[in-house]
Amino acid sequence: MANKLHDHGDHFITTPKAEPFLERVIFNNRLIILILFMGITAFLGYQMTQIKPDASFERLIPLKHEFIQNMMENRDDLENLGNYINIAVAVKDGDVFNEEYMETLKQITDEVFFLAGVDRAGVKSLWTPNVRWVEVTEQGFQGGTVIPDGYDGSANSLAKLRQNVLRSGDGIRLMADNFQSTLIYAPLMETNPETGESLDYKAFSQELEAKIRDKYEAQNPNIEIHIVGFAKKVGDLIEGIKSIAYFALITLVLALVLLILYARCIAGALIPIFSSFVAVVWQLGLLNLLGYGLDPYSVLVPFLVFAIGISHGVQIVNQAGAEAAKGYDSLTSARLAFRALYIPGMLALLSDAIGFLTLLLIEIDVIQGLAVAASIGVAVIIITNLVLHPVILSYTGITKSGIRHAKNLEEKVDKKWVWMSYFAHPSVAPISVLIAIVGTGLGFYYKQDLKIGDLDQGAPELRADSRYNLDNKFIIDNYSSSSDVMVIMVKTEPQACSSYPVLRAIDRLQWTLENTPGVQSTGSLVTVSKIVTKALNEGSFKWYELSPSQRVINSSIQRAPSGLLNTDCSMTPVVAYLEDHKAETLKTVVASIQEFSKDYEGESFRFLLAAGNAGVDAATNEVIEAAKDQMLLLVYAVVSTLCFITFRSIRAVICIVTPLGLTSILCEALMAQLGIGIKVETLPVIALGVGIGVDYGIYIYTKFEKVLLEGRSLQDAYYETLRTTGRAVMFTGITLGLGVITWIFSPIKFQANMGLLLFFMFLWNMIGALWLLPALARFLLNPEKMVAKARAAEAKMA
Amino acid sequence: MNKQKDTMRVKLKRNLAGIGLGLFVGGALALPASDLETPAIQSSLAANYLLLDVDEAGDRLVAVGARGHVVYSDDQGKNWTQSDVPVSVMLTSVDFVNERKGWAVGHAGVILHTEDGGATWRKQFDGNMANEFVIEGARERVAALEEELALAEEIVAEAEGSSDAKLKARASEYDLDEMAFILEDATFALEDAEIDAESGAAKPLLSVQFLDENVGFTVGAFGFFFYTEDGGATWQYGASKIENTDRFHLNAVSQIDESTVAIAGEAGQIFLSRDRGATWESLESPYEGSFFGIGPTGNEGGMIVYGLRGNTFASNDYGANWEPLELDISETLMSSDTTGNGRISLVGNGGMLLLSRDGGETFTAHPREDRKALLGVRFLAADRLLLVGEDGISLIREVSRLN
Repeated sequence: MANKLHDHGDHFITTPKAEPFLERVIFNNRLIILILFMGITAFLGYQMTQIKPDASFERLIPLKHEFIQNMMENRDDLENLGNYINIAVAVKDGDVFNEEYMETLKQITDEVFFLAGVDRAGVKSLWTPNVRWVEVTEQGFQGGTVIPDGYDGSANSLAKLRQNVLRSGDGIRLMADNFQSTLIYAPLMETNPETGESLDYKAFSQELEAKIRDKYEAQNPNIEIHIVGFAKKVGDLIEGIKSIAYFALITLVLALVLLILYARCIAGALIPIFSSFVAVVWQLGLLNLLGYGLDPYSVLVPFLVFAIGISHGVQIVNQAGAEAAKGYDSLTSARLAFRALYIPGMLALLSDAIGFLTLLLIEIDVIQGLAVAASIGVAVIIITNLVLHPVILSYTGITKSGIRHAKNLEEKVDKKWVWMSYFAHPSVAPISVLIAIVGTGLGFYYKQDLKIGDLDQGAPELRADSRYNLDNKFIIDNYSSSSDVMVIMVKTEPQACSSYPVLRAIDRLQWTLENTPGVQSTGSLVTVSKIVTKALNEGSFKWYELSPSQRVINSSIQRAPSGLLNTDCSMTPVVAYLEDHKAETLKTVVASIQEFSKDYEGESFRFLLAAGNAGVDAATNEVIEAAKDQMLLLVYAVVSTLCFITFRSIRAVICIVTPLGLTSILCEALMAQLGIGIKVETLPVIALGVGIGVDYGIYIYTKFEKVLLEGRSLQDAYYETLRTTGRAVMFTGITLGLGVITWIFSPIKFQANMGLLLFFMFLWNMIGALWLLPALARFLLNPEKMVAKARAAEAKMA
Repeated sequence: MNKQKDTMRVKLKRNLAGIGLGLFVGGALALPASDLETPAIQSSLAANYLLLDVDEAGDRLVAVGARGHVVYSDDQGKNWTQSDVPVSVMLTSVDFVNERKGWAVGHAGVILHTEDGGATWRKQFDGNMANEFVIEGARERVAALEEELALAEEIVAEAEGSSDAKLKARASEYDLDEMAFILEDATFALEDAEIDAESGAAKPLLSVQFLDENVGFTVGAFGFFFYTEDGGATWQYGASKIENTDRFHLNAVSQIDESTVAIAGEAGQIFLSRDRGATWESLESPYEGSFFGIGPTGNEGGMIVYGLRGNTFASNDYGANWEPLELDISETLMSSDTTGNGRISLVGNGGMLLLSRDGGETFTAHPREDRKALLGVRFLAADRLLLVGEDGISLIREVSRLN
């Protein structure tokens, strides 16, 4: 029966009169509601199957950041500085100067040339005609392709080839330092100029595997192929994400088994899973309807929705079981469960949804997509798990074994709960609070090491021992090239990009950069000018200098690669090759450039940061760093406000939110100690963790308050809370924790990291709610006053 | 041919000079507008960045290179300190006469002088002064040629109206067209020089050699040749002392023995002075390509000259006769050193290092694996060889084991 005290107490989200109304609407139209749900599920299920993978580069980057805007404004002039693949064809035995190797290399070059998406004119390999050698002779320049005329694979022509490679700049770049492999460089086109379609990374990556790696490694057992590049990385990521299906299955089975053990009732186990599954279908269907795709980051959301759905479902099963144990029939038990839980349920889910929406603050498309997806998911759960679930339950009821189990629990005095109820005891509570304070201190101490951005070399999304990262390491080890590139765009007045004052400033910038820790080397129009000036003076290094004479400069850059200056000569890039893309490195380099450009304020040219993968990473780090605290603050503000509106008590808010705060701090400390940086994929976890955690606190507090208002003592009331709601919360925390911990086996490192962090969040939020909340309540709540206040409110109403 | 080229060059220069004026509109400069006025940046990379020459100042080693870098070592090459240098242009050559006094030359026609063994440097001369010298020299030449031509025309005109056989014979010696051509050439050279001067100090000095504290020479691009007889207090334009009217690059100047100095340059040019630079003669060249270095072999009258694509020639008679050396390499050679007891080292592009222990009769090749260019070389005590080049200093121990 509805509790009068409660109904007329502190809750004002819905007026007391609305409660029976909502309940009436739902439970008097059960059939219509079921049919409606079936129809919507069928429609959204169809929509779900239409959802497309969406892993475009642009969605991963903070488009509104100054760096990225600079990059986008100049993107047409920045010729393919980022999107290319490098294929290293290595020999297992001997060196590359043998006929079989060269034949294979030729075939692979041809194959690469015809891959859809490859910008053919830019392909470079020892076998492409654009890789040439040039030499100064007494008569002038002399040159040719590195593959000698009349090449026939003989020892003689191989010797000639070797000589040509060594006197060709491109040749040396394509040749490994140990002569045991060579590179094929292939720039890619993001959109196909003929069809206008954007590059399908997954298909492209699969083609690379099938048509290049598998085919030629099988054909020539003496070779090994290593492939790196953004397209390959994304392809591998999409490939790896498939494994999430297995984890989904594990989570599903785990949840089912534990639910059966928990409720001792098939219906009580299947219905939460079914409703949560419906929520996932709706969420994915709606996502597609709204035009979103599924990217490597938002695949997390269905999990989350499922988890949250289960969490609420368990509460309903728990409550319905308890009501059924009192002897009510299926329909009444379901109604009573609905009546008891719809307010805390809606409040919790609303907090979740709004908490997730704070992720919109981070102006990176994938994170905003995640925010929208997660919010939709949670909103859907309000309907599926708070409406569909009790409606189905009203038909099936709890099985006899389930009711018996609930009865047993009702009658049995479980030592566990008695023991745990001491958390609310006056002598235990201070110790708990003290531990929490010490924990907070330790958390703050250890989270000092928390870093923004990537902390590891290679592709941080993948594991260090993944194929891609091994390939990447191979290429870094064997070629004097870096895969981490920062591009500074030098913007000048039209026709001035190659003027001496600009080039002189660039020359100084390059030297400043080369003296900055973390920078390996640099390149620009100045580099070209110096190299060509030297070449025009018969290769003498005494001419490796930027000439102050514009005439000399102009002739030296006549044949500069087109990417180094735009059509009206108003922009020229300076490229810095970095040792890695660790946040620290990027920060140092960016600071160095910004400091340098101060010397040139007031000039007619400007140094604009930054393109290249390292430029994008630097921008991303800045966005995340700026948004991080703001976002956390907002999440907490939203959660606190909603709690306050519901419970009309600051004390309640403190009881519920404090354990969450402790979890957040400890989570950051954990990240710092495990070397997990705050980045695109981990930041959402921090926000989501708060959203998920608040559910526990709200359910516990609602029940706790309800029992307290019945006039029971704190410890007694908490004992009552523990054996009902607390039991469900504990179960949920453990189940979900176990569900996500399996992710640490994911081939994708960021999923593994997310799994670990979510595991911690699920578990520790549960612990916080069960252990710290009652201790705080001991200090903050005064049951007598609460009862008095409720009575007064009731009297007023009457 | 040459005239045509020069004409084109002049026109091109004029056009570009016009564009150039439009370009150089800028705001207030935080830095001096020229690297000639901007001190070299102190950098921990200086000893590992492009270095072009090295010399000994007593026990100290001093190397010079790109961006105005000068580094010195007091422990035979192990540790290096960067000097304070008032310019940040590339320095191409360095020469010391004792443990204190030395000179370095480089781009923008700069000549630097040190009196403390290379720790601090002061500018003695630069390309702006060089430009004035060159313009002055060209003007004098044009004036002289004009005078000559006027005189010749007078004589020819006079001879035409006369029956004096002697006069006719004298007039027939003049080829007025040829003389007009030469004058035109010289006029172009003057215009060239004037236009060059507009773009400031743009041409490099490439090599410097002092015979003692007072007498020194420096050569460079487009026939730059300056000498001093007062330790660089005043520098004089010496182009008229050598026959280099095509203004070929002069790439190297080296002391061969007590009173002999040699210059080698573009298009196989070799000039020799046996009287400490007072007079110079053009040597018959064994090669039409460029020479980048010339040096003594250690024997009386012994010289070695080398350059493009490894072309190397040796002489035992002060350059009267040259013999090609069969080195079987294609790397351009840039610098050499000798110990005087038959050991010679030659270095060059592509990491080439050649060693001889028989006064240059035979060499063995020891190219660096990374093929980074080697540009300066010095035999040190304790069987060590100091190399400077594309990536700075490198030291070879137990060098006698190599050949």
